[in-house]
Amino acid sequence: MVHALHEARRVLKPGGVLIDLRPAAVHRQVGVIRAGQSQRLGAMREKFDDDYAANRAVAEVVRQGLFKLERRIRFDCRRTMDSLAEFRAWLDEFVTLDKLPSHNWLIERVSQALHEDGGKAKIVITGPLDLGVLKKRELGERKKAAGSA
Amino acid sequence: MPLRIDPEQNEVQALKQVADWRGQRVLEIGCGDGRLTQRLARLGAQVQAIDPNVTLIRAARKRLPQRLAARVHFQVGRAGRLEYPKESFDLVVFSWVL
Repeated sequence: MVHALHEARRVLKPGGVLIDLRPAAVHRQVGVIRAGQSQRLGAMREKFDDDYAANRAVAEVVRQGLFKLERRIRFDCRRTMDSLAEFRAWLDEFVTLDKLPSHNWLIERVSQALHEDGGKAKIVITGPLDLGVLKKRELGERKKAAGSA
Repeated sequence: MPLRIDPEQNEVQALKQVADWRGQRVLEIGCGDGRLTQRLARLGAQVQAIDPNVTLIRAARKRLPQRLAARVHFQVGRAGRLEYPKESFDLVVFSWVL
């Protein structure tokens, strides 16, 4: 990851900006929404090892003086799905790629909620995104910063 | 309606807050099927979008609206070996990949 950040810095113009946009290391909430009312059904059980490794990589290039962290923003992001089949396909891919434990319990809950509603509800997955703004630092700036430290 | 990500467009609002994208040369790393790429192009950026997955790049090209075609170029590529000259972009976006 640090190598990828070095590559990004190489192709950035002087004073260029790197945007690091990714899901926050927070368990996603799954629920349904019907007639404007939301019902929470459970939280996913993701692993955050990769997220922590990414945070460390960003901290490393900032420590090296290659970038200056200018800003961090966290905001909500929703995914909506209309059917259990879509949810199951999305979740299966997620569980397989991230080698997560089975989330069949969650599929059961969603299935039940949709059944109770006659299939009119929407499935909603909510989880915040983090956006980091990192400005490329030049050699002169790095020396100056090191000298004033 | 199929899966929709960020229907409220909070992502776009956040991107607008942090940069003026109009006319900027942007490299998007990990563009996937081009969902965020289109949003960046609508903000006025000239986007070079890469992803290592050739199937996703094909899908991204297919779903790109004609009106954005002049502002977007998709290519198979990896973050660890960028095939661009140094100092060629105003912004680099790591798109859900770091």
